[in-house]
Amino acid sequence: MLISKEGLRKLAEKLLGEGVQVAAPTERANQPVYAALRSADEMALEHQIARNSFKEFLFPQTEVVARFTISKGSVHLASAGAEFPETVVLGARPCDAASVASLRSVFTWKGEDDRFFTGRQDKAAVVTIACTKGDGACFCTSVGLAPDSPQGSDILLRPTVSGGFRAEALTERGKALVAGADGIFTEGDEELAPVAPPPAAESADVERILGWLSDTENYKDALWAAHAGKCVGCGVCTYVCPTCHCFDIVDEGRAFEGERRKNWDACQFDHFTAHAGGHNPREKQSQRWRNRFMCKFHYYPTKFDSRGCVGCGRCIRVCYVGLDITEMMQKVTTKAAISAQPSAKS
Amino acid sequence: MTNIYLPHLVTIEDIVEETPDVRTYRLVFQDEKMRESFSFRAGQFALYSAFGAGESTFCIANPPTRKGYIETTFRRVGRVTGTLADLNIGDTMGFRGPYGNWFPMDSFHGKNLIFVAGGIALPPLRTVIWECLDQREKFGDITVVYGARSVQDLVYKRELEHWNERPDVNLVQTVDPGGEEPGWKGKIGFVPTVLKEAAPSPDNAVALVCGPPIMIKFSLQALGELGFSDEQVYTTLENKMKCGLGKCGRCNVGDIYICKEGPVYTTAEVKNMYPDL
Repeated sequence: MLISKEGLRKLAEKLLGEGVQVAAPTERANQPVYAALRSADEMALEHQIARNSFKEFLFPQTEVVARFTISKGSVHLASAGAEFPETVVLGARPCDAASVASLRSVFTWKGEDDRFFTGRQDKAAVVTIACTKGDGACFCTSVGLAPDSPQGSDILLRPTVSGGFRAEALTERGKALVAGADGIFTEGDEELAPVAPPPAAESADVERILGWLSDTENYKDALWAAHAGKCVGCGVCTYVCPTCHCFDIVDEGRAFEGERRKNWDACQFDHFTAHAGGHNPREKQSQRWRNRFMCKFHYYPTKFDSRGCVGCGRCIRVCYVGLDITEMMQKVTTKAAISAQPSAKS
Repeated sequence: MTNIYLPHLVTIEDIVEETPDVRTYRLVFQDEKMRESFSFRAGQFALYSAFGAGESTFCIANPPTRKGYIETTFRRVGRVTGTLADLNIGDTMGFRGPYGNWFPMDSFHGKNLIFVAGGIALPPLRTVIWECLDQREKFGDITVVYGARSVQDLVYKRELEHWNERPDVNLVQTVDPGGEEPGWKGKIGFVPTVLKEAAPSPDNAVALVCGPPIMIKFSLQALGELGFSDEQVYTTLENKMKCGLGKCGRCNVGDIYICKEGPVYTTAEVKNMYPDL
């Protein structure tokens, strides 16, 4: 099955016409950004990867979870978020598509479903375009993914030599999308454009990293402070990260009416874990940076049974002090390899 | 599909001013069905909200054996607790919970129990103490070692008096040196020191320790010297929480989410954690 670039535009047009929210790469201030399309012509698919991930369509940056009004002697409280928009992510990258399962594993952990996530994700389909090239920050191959991996995609599009795509519907949701798009997908086959997997962090091994992180003694290793010393705690890595899930719950509004909101937060912020009494278990920035690395390569795989890092490389691209998570992955892999060697004493 | 972040509305039925900045609220669900169906276990916690200011995490301080209401004790420290402390009897608050694990009460049956608490950390043990006293025949000797910075900072003063009078409770009260007042009949000294003097036997015993980190550290040391093993000593961990459901990413000690896998742990379990407390 094939679809042309013009076909993708038509698909977006058709979905928008049906009132579906279409999230796709667009150009905003000359930068590729996933945004809700206002028109199909806004779609900009020629960029390697968007600056943001599309997680904000499943886990918005800010979201009302309840509304309240306070009157004399009583409070009226109303739940929010019963209805969510039907959404199609058009032109996702395989790394981002793979991150959806990670977020879901947190938001459904131990059977307690956050309906603000599941309600959105249950009504979302992901149409992914496989990558034919990466940039210097991409490292999906270092975390067990690939430029054409199918994880999390409802339809996977592989670029062909003629500039179109070979389409494969991988899920019921994907098949329904194809079935509803009369004449946009066509029968046939074409030669695929060659895929160039990103070479970054080839010596990083997530299994070895997990093993090293599992040893509580290594929590105190000098490597943490040495690597994360220059981190300024701006938290931008967490905002662009497709798997970062931390949030705050805050009340906003006027004196007698307001909203309870669930807002993105970041484990990199200094007050994130600070107790009201003054104690802060993660007082130093290197401890906070360690927490994020641990979350990606230990907590996610062991607690939530999912992938904590999809190798999109965004945290590397946006970091303005030049911290590169793959450098730490390589250093830890090396340390793990050394400690795995039989001791000279034995 | 339920909204896991939506609190229940509760009415403040009674307020006790424990100290100038610590209050105990007795809360009753406004929904009749909730009033009847709500249950919890000793050691669990909840998220309490002052609408317009936000939510804070405190333990449930009354015992599960007393039904129909919730009691919680908190100190006025920040924005939320400040707003909560300004509320009056009859006002409405929000409540989400119960969350977290609990003390394995069944395994304490027939054992001698030693409670060690400091300052505002008596509430998470008060729930257990009253559960034991309400089923007194199920437990052995009950010793409570409780201290605060000053006489004024002791919470549950009326209950301390009551425990003091009971022949089946051995209450040892203490205040830090300089915190005593004329007429103070308790001890003067730090909790770990007083605990060591009280010298409870580790035989067929369990110790439950709650307090500020420094008090916990030295109390655990004292219990070790008295012969208690790490498996015999329980504590509850506290960390900042926003969701209480293992999603907001805040309360973890290494790979342990206190909100879901705690807050109740044995010292042996705490020692196995990443050094992130």
